[in-house]
Amino acid sequence: MSAHSHVDGQLPHEPEKATLEGRNKVLGFWLFLGGETVLFGTLFSAFLALRHQVLGGPPAEELFNLGLVAAATLILLTSSLTSVFAVHALHTHQVKSLIMWLIITVVLGAGFLGLEIYEFVHYVHEGHGFTTSAFSSSFYTLVGFHGAHVAFGILWISLLIIQLAKKGLNTTTAPKVYIASMYWHFIDVVWVFIFTVVYLMGKVG
Amino acid sequence: MASNHSATEESTKRHKVEGPKKHVIAFIFSLALTLIAFAAVMGGEINKDFIYIILMGTAFLQVFVQMAFWMHMKDRGHTFALIGILGGVFIVFTCVIMAEYWAWW
Repeated sequence: MSAHSHVDGQLPHEPEKATLEGRNKVLGFWLFLGGETVLFGTLFSAFLALRHQVLGGPPAEELFNLGLVAAATLILLTSSLTSVFAVHALHTHQVKSLIMWLIITVVLGAGFLGLEIYEFVHYVHEGHGFTTSAFSSSFYTLVGFHGAHVAFGILWISLLIIQLAKKGLNTTTAPKVYIASMYWHFIDVVWVFIFTVVYLMGKVG
Repeated sequence: MASNHSATEESTKRHKVEGPKKHVIAFIFSLALTLIAFAAVMGGEINKDFIYIILMGTAFLQVFVQMAFWMHMKDRGHTFALIGILGGVFIVFTCVIMAEYWAWW
């Protein structure tokens, strides 16, 4: 806890909750995550209802490659850990290590996204297009929505890294990092259910 | 606001105890749960219903670990956060159960 020459005066221990605005952002973000839960829940329920309607296309147990899914899961889980480390660096006011952990998180997120794009391209070649069947449409909508959230998170955290590098850590930038980290965990939580419900339950049949 | 002051002190204390070590433990725990889920499916012929129970169990446990430890849900002052997210979860369960029954009938 030394070397905060970058900070004007002493930052509080939890700078993300030091201002009313910061606390409101965290609360508001939880409510937003509640809404996101509903969004993904509806996509999940649509997928659950339609997952056996393959209409001549490849069924889940033939299509899915669990090795690829395991790799993607590992990458996303690790990125969740690195974003926790970022928040830890935030609480100990170490801007450099905070930025470093955020960069690692973004890189891992990009790796996950790359795997997912590769996977989708592969599936399309296997004859599993978006309009092939109710199963394929609900699959791409659910998993693609999650991928879009990852893509948005990568963009968001990248912008935060630039802002942190320019303006440093203060009571304005701290809540932004904190809620971005919450968002990233939420993405990982959604992925837990995707690999469970879509891939593993798909393999089981 | 004396109570506020002591609350801050309390959270400072808690965070000093809670270093990156605790997060690494949560990570290993999540990894183990993931491994169990994948092993249950890849490990050959087990009863299908039993696999489903394992999968749901590991998924919900892992979400609990992430929410409680990584999203700081276990820290104080998260009542409204809990209400917000549980409101969402309630609607999700309604949707999922409805969709499952609709598909079965």
